[in-house]
Amino acid sequence: MRVAGTWRLVRARTARRVRSGGHAWRSSLQVRVITTTTAIGLVTLVLVGLYVGERMRDSLFDGRVEQVLEESARSTVQAQATFDFSTATQGPDVSRLLEDVVKAQSSGGSGEREVFLLRSPGQRSTVSVGAAASDFALGRSGIVTKQLQVATAVGGQHWQSVAWPTELGDEPAVMVGQNVDVPVAGTFQLFFLYSLQAEQERLDFLQRTLALAAVALVALLGSMTWLVTRQAVRPVRRAAQVAERLADGHLSERMPVKGEDEMARLARSFNEMAAGLQDQISRMEDLSALQRRFVSDVSHELRTPLTTIRMAGEVIHASRADFEPAVKRSAELLQTQLDRFEDLLADLLEISRFDAGAAVLDAEGRDVRDVVIAAADHAFPLAERRGTWLRVTLPEKRAQADIDPRRVERVLRNLLVNAIEHAEGTSVEVTVGADEYAVAVTVRDHGVGMSTVETAHVFDRFWRADPARARTTGGTGLGLAISLEDAHLHGGWLEAWGRPGRGACFRLTLPRRAGIRLTDSPLPLVPDDADPPPVLAPVVRPRTDPAALPELDDDSHSDARQEVR
Amino acid sequence: MRGRVLVVDDDTALAEMIGIVLRSEGFDPVFCEDGDEALGVFRATQPDLVLLDLMLPGKDGNEVCRQIRGESGVPIVMLTAKSDTVDVVLGLESGADDYISKPFKPKELVARVRARLRRSDEPAPEHLSIGDVSIDVPGHRVVRAGRPISLTPLEFDLLVALARKPWQVFTREILLEKVWGYRHAADTRLVNVHVQRLRSKIENDPEQPEIVVTVRGVGYKAGVTST
Repeated sequence: MRVAGTWRLVRARTARRVRSGGHAWRSSLQVRVITTTTAIGLVTLVLVGLYVGERMRDSLFDGRVEQVLEESARSTVQAQATFDFSTATQGPDVSRLLEDVVKAQSSGGSGEREVFLLRSPGQRSTVSVGAAASDFALGRSGIVTKQLQVATAVGGQHWQSVAWPTELGDEPAVMVGQNVDVPVAGTFQLFFLYSLQAEQERLDFLQRTLALAAVALVALLGSMTWLVTRQAVRPVRRAAQVAERLADGHLSERMPVKGEDEMARLARSFNEMAAGLQDQISRMEDLSALQRRFVSDVSHELRTPLTTIRMAGEVIHASRADFEPAVKRSAELLQTQLDRFEDLLADLLEISRFDAGAAVLDAEGRDVRDVVIAAADHAFPLAERRGTWLRVTLPEKRAQADIDPRRVERVLRNLLVNAIEHAEGTSVEVTVGADEYAVAVTVRDHGVGMSTVETAHVFDRFWRADPARARTTGGTGLGLAISLEDAHLHGGWLEAWGRPGRGACFRLTLPRRAGIRLTDSPLPLVPDDADPPPVLAPVVRPRTDPAALPELDDDSHSDARQEVR
Repeated sequence: MRGRVLVVDDDTALAEMIGIVLRSEGFDPVFCEDGDEALGVFRATQPDLVLLDLMLPGKDGNEVCRQIRGESGVPIVMLTAKSDTVDVVLGLESGADDYISKPFKPKELVARVRARLRRSDEPAPEHLSIGDVSIDVPGHRVVRAGRPISLTPLEFDLLVALARKPWQVFTREILLEKVWGYRHAADTRLVNVHVQRLRSKIENDPEQPEIVVTVRGVGYKAGVTST
């Protein structure tokens, strides 16, 4: 039992750890709704943001490039015109001309731009004229790629995105190139380098704004969802709390009703339900109290006249010797049937006390062996009359348990009377066993026994195995039903085993302390000799007719068993 | 006149029957049917024992019991149809010495009445003491620390039974037999309630009893804390 308990604990702990993550998720509708809404909002905003950012970048870039191309085309035409009208024929003149053009072009145009005049690749010239640039260092750094030069050589306007290294880092830029014819020197290529830093900054700013807006939107969405769900969830939570309070028995608990909306309707219906429930429960409580009082009143009302009848009967019975035979017999019948009536009434009241839940366990620590001995003492006279041998086997150690001795003795008396009645002159064995958790008593007879069907019904009220059987000891038919209730009141078990022709065995198992849950009994219910024919074991000497007894071998049992007479 | 018994019961048939039985045993029964009149009849007749039904018109049995107990230590036996613990304990706490559950047999009734009237009339001079409580058995007087304590005959018997054998632990069953005169009755609630009542009169602190000590799981014994 301990091991099973520990294992359960470990399992529960593990499960709790696994659960704790998902706990808030599962237990709170609000958390779930907020999380889902925020997640969906976030994903949507990220997608929209990516798309808008892309579009913004493209349009900014394309617009600038278009502008740059137009401007550079215009500038190229201008430069070509300058070259065409030039009169330079000598190399130095041409060189100066190139420098002039570069200087003129670098200052013109929108915004900052750098200008490079390079000889077209694969061109041979008769005069040695070098390249010209507004920024030679930049020109020599290879910012004008071979690839662009080759492409430009084919003719027409060509452009390429490049990184413009500055002291602040690389800036995005566009290099545009076109052929120009330079007098004497032949075909040159005129390149304009435009910075896109301004556009980049604009884009960065726009994207930052966009991201900020997205964050604000998500936050707004989350808080809105929180507010909305709170409005919806709060009444539900409140309803759950109130329902819990109701379940705990605070029947007058109600939900506050505000306004006319769905929530108010929920609260109102809930309150109506609670009121109905309260009404029903209080009616049932009243009924139950009424029932209990009725039982108690019936007890009093019936018992008082019964007492009078009983006393009158006794007085008549006491002087029956003076009556003629018929009256005398009547007095005797009156007497015995009054006994029976009284027993029946007592049992009925006892059962109705159990039904009303009014039975109280008056437990004290007692040695179950003593109770068994008391019950056996009580059963001896009947056993004697029936010629039944009664053997009681007790453990040597104390069988202490918290029991209500009155009830336990009643159970045992009942079992003993039953067994003796059904033993038909064979022996009845009472065995007491105890372990750490429980104390058990078995009462075994070797009489006619019971079938499985009969065993299943043996604790039913007013049930009789064989209706035709005469019941001379006059049981009420409630004895075993009461015994079962008594056992349950202790948190114990009362079980029956039987087999036709093999006798029957009843086992009472009681926990040694309140709160112990029985899992096992110290004694077996099914006897060892269930299958072989019953053997008459040596028994305790009955008080009558000692001559009819077998010789008793005292030594063979005295060590392990204590025999009681 | 050997034993006048006051029967307080509203059921005239039962009262009459009890009367027949008591008379046949040589007692002298007097009757009262109403709770309100019970005390007056008690004062007028001065019975040796009261048989008291718990359910009465007018004042209920427990109230009548308290009133009678308030002015006399006369033995009171309750007649009760309710054997529920609460009812019985309530009756005993209001001062009854014993109770009989209905339905009862005449013999049982007579035995209980006899047991309560059986006062030893020939007591040898005997002085007992437990702790600082001294008991004058024939004089029926109990003194603690110079202060006389008034006990009902039953409480007195209980105390004497314990004091006579201060070395012995009495189980409830043995006390029942010795004090109440029962043979087989298993109802030990009687003992519990009367021990509580006795303690409330003789102990300095009934929660920490020194005179009547509980022996857990067994019963009671006389305390021998000091002599």
